Amino acid sequence: MSRPREESELVERARRGDESAYEELVRAHQGIAFRTAYLVVGSAAEAEEAAQEGFVKAYRALGRFRPGSPFRPWLLQIVANEARNRRRSEGRRAALAVRAAAEEGSSGGAAPSPEGALLAGEEREQLLEAINGLREEERLVIACRYFLDLSEEETAAVLDVRVGTVKSRTSRALDHLRESYA
Amino acid sequence: MPELDVALRELGRQVEFPPTPDVASAIRGRLERRRPWRRPLVIALAVLVVAIGAVLAVPPARTAILDWLGLRHVSIVRVDKLPPTDPIVHLDLGRETSLARVPLWALVPDDKPDRVFVDGGTVNLVWGDPQKPRLLLTEFRGEAFIEKLVEPNDDVEAVKVNGRPGAWLEQPHVVMFKDLRGRIRDESARLAGKTLLWQHGDVTLRLEGDLTKEEALRIARSAD
Repeated sequence: MSRPREESELVERARRGDESAYEELVRAHQGIAFRTAYLVVGSAAEAEEAAQEGFVKAYRALGRFRPGSPFRPWLLQIVANEARNRRRSEGRRAALAVRAAAEEGSSGGAAPSPEGALLAGEEREQLLEAINGLREEERLVIACRYFLDLSEEETAAVLDVRVGTVKSRTSRALDHLRESYA
Repeated sequence: MPELDVALRELGRQVEFPPTPDVASAIRGRLERRRPWRRPLVIALAVLVVAIGAVLAVPPARTAILDWLGLRHVSIVRVDKLPPTDPIVHLDLGRETSLARVPLWALVPDDKPDRVFVDGGTVNLVWGDPQKPRLLLTEFRGEAFIEKLVEPNDDVEAVKVNGRPGAWLEQPHVVMFKDLRGRIRDESARLAGKTLLWQHGDVTLRLEGDLTKEEALRIARSAD
């Protein structure tokens, strides 16, 4: 997990032009950056490009990064912006290309949680279908909050909206999901 | 059926994303903040002659001066007489925007500007009244260049901004530049007073206002 003090040191070193410090930051955040881009563009190839471009731009913009502020939302905003530009240029609506893993633990992921057993395969499909049926902006806010586990502030940065908008959009999306999922 | 909130978190743990690519290795070697100068200065000079139509007395040591200044996107051309220029009637700063939406490559000093404008590939940060700025920081990048016509015997002093090359000009000079779309911005040619020019990677910055050299350098360092 991230160690804030160490991270701010890495950011400071990267600001001064230390490329190896920046590489460490990239390794720490490339997973979340790639998945964020993937949710926005809906294609692994384009998400990879957006993440690369985002990290390069972030490095060049480090001079404008406010020392001491959290690095991840700032970075995710840049990466998401890259991803959005790609989606626009492709002129298509990104389909939510997420699938529930076929078998529990098949992807070598985390151990099942206590409530893991509660969500049966059929319900899982039903819920995913309901999420896929949401409007794009609601689908994305749900994906950011629940699939990527981003904070409201980080979600706001990714979606380029205010935190208040994230709150209202999440609550609206949950209402819509309750209607179709219940 | 579990509570929706719990179910969503549960689903989140089961969602499958494509494997994360090795971004760190992919961008290694792309982190250079400086980009090579791609357009020869000869083109800049030719455009200047056409645009102004003035007789230019280009000293043979021009290249040497540029090398000395270390400003690749900027050329300082000494002339016998400045072309006539009207005082600033209208400053064309472009479309107003906010700091949050300014392009990421742009540099912002610690003392935040009052207004922000974007015009093509150029960013204008303004302190005070946009029509009569107390301080104006113009930033552009890529293949843009600035031409400065300086009267003979003017002092052009080489300075460093956090180790990056720059120049300090106290005498009046004419500024013209070409934006990224290739437009010659003659409409914004103006008689500028004291000016600090410097480069940060592929971004060229020009700070003008009624400042001492030390004040200008302090602001420049805080943006760098």
